[in-house]
Amino acid sequence: MKSSDPDALIAALVDDLAPAAPLRRWRGLTMFAAATALTVAIVVLGAGLRPEIAAGSVDAVFLLANGLFAMLGIAAATTAISMARPQVGNRHDGWAWAAAMVALLPAAALAMQFIEPQVSAHGLSEGRCAVASVALGLIVTAGLTLWLRRGAPTSPARAGLLAGIAGGSVGTFAFAFHCAHDDLFHIGIWHGAAILTSAAIGRAVVPRFIRW
Amino acid sequence: MIADDATLVGLMVSAQKGDRQSYAVLLKIAAGWLRRYFARRVAPPFLDDLVQETLISLHRKLASYDPARPFIPWLAAIARYRWVDQLRRIYRAAEESPVDEPTVASDEDAVSARLSLDRLFAHLPERQARVIRMVRIDGCSIAEAAVATGQSESLVKVNIHRGLRKLALMVERE
Repeated sequence: MKSSDPDALIAALVDDLAPAAPLRRWRGLTMFAAATALTVAIVVLGAGLRPEIAAGSVDAVFLLANGLFAMLGIAAATTAISMARPQVGNRHDGWAWAAAMVALLPAAALAMQFIEPQVSAHGLSEGRCAVASVALGLIVTAGLTLWLRRGAPTSPARAGLLAGIAGGSVGTFAFAFHCAHDDLFHIGIWHGAAILTSAAIGRAVVPRFIRW
Repeated sequence: MIADDATLVGLMVSAQKGDRQSYAVLLKIAAGWLRRYFARRVAPPFLDDLVQETLISLHRKLASYDPARPFIPWLAAIARYRWVDQLRRIYRAAEESPVDEPTVASDEDAVSARLSLDRLFAHLPERQARVIRMVRIDGCSIAEAAVATGQSESLVKVNIHRGLRKLALMVERE
């Protein structure tokens, strides 16, 4: 569309003008909430709720770990949503604190392995958790990618990373309603691995869809 | 033509609703602002292209402006993004010519200082900022930058690469 005459370019842009509804933050948050609800619904309706949860009995590690995963998902998603509306002076680093808190889970799991080495009794089902969480996380990651495509993220690489982290966190949070394992090693290592994998996918794939 | 931010916000809100007259005025003001904004930080042969690319980005990303927020910091974020993108694309300016002094209006000084492109460079290590300025803005060759800075040619390339990567992450930083 570029032209040697700036006035001609401006005239062409004016001619091409169509109403553009501003990206409202609440719309992005609503999209994220809907994608999260859909992810949880797929787990509960498709794979089934854990019997303990259905009976109203939950383990403290379950509550603590999933609370952290949920907070990381919210922090990463709200940051990604904000990144669609650029402005000099914006800061996009609050999510890092939530990520650091979640990182305590695998760190604690690894520390416990050194202190009291244990052999996992869960076998291959451990990995199934991570794969399912990553797959489920694609719903939120895709929603955020669409949102970012409409906006103008000035750091597509970071926005992609955050979309991946948000997706992985929500996928992990949702699959925990079905996952039967509450031990720190399983949650720290395998659920943590799901978030790391989603983050890597988001960082590698999403930027090519949102670069402008 | 110089307009305050409140006026620009009003024009932008009307443009988002499809008002072409407001949009034409807004684009003309934005073009002037961008020309002054980029004046010292782009080799003159690339100035027009960069202003036009930024106007096209503004046009494509109209929806990303939030009417509840000031206009100039939004425009500056888009301008910085396009500027870093151009620095990455243009390895060497084809021509070298004297850089004109910028003609920044006095009542824009405070805003311009806060949004300045120089502030981005301030966050880079000097060894990276210097070689980016020399090679990507002033049009020196890698060899010339290496001699002037005492870095090896490979190190100049590495510092340019790392510096541009950092700049891309800092577009919205004050």
